[in-house]
Amino acid sequence: MADPMHQFQIQKIVELPTVTVFGMPIDLSITNSVAAMLLAATLLTVFYSFASAKRAVVPGRLQAVGELLYNLVDGLADSIMGHEGKKFMPFVFTLFAFVLFMNLQGMFLVFTATSQLAVTLTLGFLVILTVVAVGVIKNGFKFFKLFAPSGVPWPLYFLLVPIEILSFVIRPVTLALRLFGNMLGGHVVLKIFAGFVIALGGMGLIGFPGAVLAMGSVVALTALEFMVAFLQAFVFAVLTCVYLNDVVHLDSH
Amino acid sequence: MATVHQGTVETTGTPHGEESSGGLPQLQFQHWGGQIVWLLLIFAVLYTVLAKGLLPRVSGAIDERGAKIAGDIADARRLKDEAEAQARAAAAEVAEARAKAQKTAADAKAKASAEAAERQAKEEAILAEKLTVAEAGIQAARDEAMGHVAAVAQETAAAIVEKLTGKAATAAELKSALA
Repeated sequence: MADPMHQFQIQKIVELPTVTVFGMPIDLSITNSVAAMLLAATLLTVFYSFASAKRAVVPGRLQAVGELLYNLVDGLADSIMGHEGKKFMPFVFTLFAFVLFMNLQGMFLVFTATSQLAVTLTLGFLVILTVVAVGVIKNGFKFFKLFAPSGVPWPLYFLLVPIEILSFVIRPVTLALRLFGNMLGGHVVLKIFAGFVIALGGMGLIGFPGAVLAMGSVVALTALEFMVAFLQAFVFAVLTCVYLNDVVHLDSH
Repeated sequence: MATVHQGTVETTGTPHGEESSGGLPQLQFQHWGGQIVWLLLIFAVLYTVLAKGLLPRVSGAIDERGAKIAGDIADARRLKDEAEAQARAAAAEVAEARAKAQKTAADAKAKASAEAAERQAKEEAILAEKLTVAEAGIQAARDEAMGHVAAVAQETAAAIVEKLTGKAATAAELKSALA
């Protein structure tokens, strides 16, 4: 049976030179992971180019889907961040749509970029560094009030501040691991059950019922994975909004 | 379920391929740098394209639609108000015309009845005149007749007196006797 982890193996497609930054070698070759990201970004750009080309009052199918996703993120940013959400909506939308396209691409093609820990961690840190940058630019030193919520007796700060700092620092990791874990788990399970179909089907009549059962599981899991692909992108966007809201509305924290 | 479980054991029992020397392929850190750099690059380009180019067009289309719908509703409301105003004006005009017609009819009726009354009065005056003339005629005729009656009585009385007495009575005697 095929190794279910083989699908996550990075393979080089186009060899490019390795550069060394601060003593760390960075291989800039276009791998299957990079290609998947490039394809997702290209598809997203092409999709929105067509979806926003006509600007029809009565939208066609493409435009309707494009506007549906836009309104989804717009409503999300607005409901969580209020009026300030408008400014961050493009950032949240780019994250949401990019993650969604990478997730969905994994359902159709062989490689899922969001099942790479390097990718999800980078996105997680991108979010949290944006949050820190926005917080510091908007609030200056008051940004650190984020770790000391008002309205508690001062002795509690000895306990509360470390907890708050820890919960903040752990955010990019949880963001990254949630997406990574869901994508990894889903694709591994799909691969294993698909492997059963072949393995049991090859055993003749004895294995046949099991193969049918496994096949049914694969169909059901595929449907589930489509939902997870959307849901995880949505969760990523929601949490980005929530984290941004913390620093945008620091006074009410 | 038993067969599925057996399959699981079989899978985990299978030796891994050469390239993944145990553990997750995602943890082969020699591939991280390239992915991170490329991802940041792609994300930056994608963000620029979406935020500066494509999303404003999408929101523009949405806003245009909203504005168009709002405009159309405002137009419809304005037209409705206009139509209502026109209906009110028409109703007022109808009422005015009806009042006018009623006034004209009343005027005509009054004029006609006035004329009729006048004509009647004239006729009555003529009739009254005729009546007085006739009454005067009748009075005259009666007076004349009464005069004749006196004369006849006088003659008759003279004749009777003459017949009875054989001599004619004087006119003065007759007159006093008849008075």
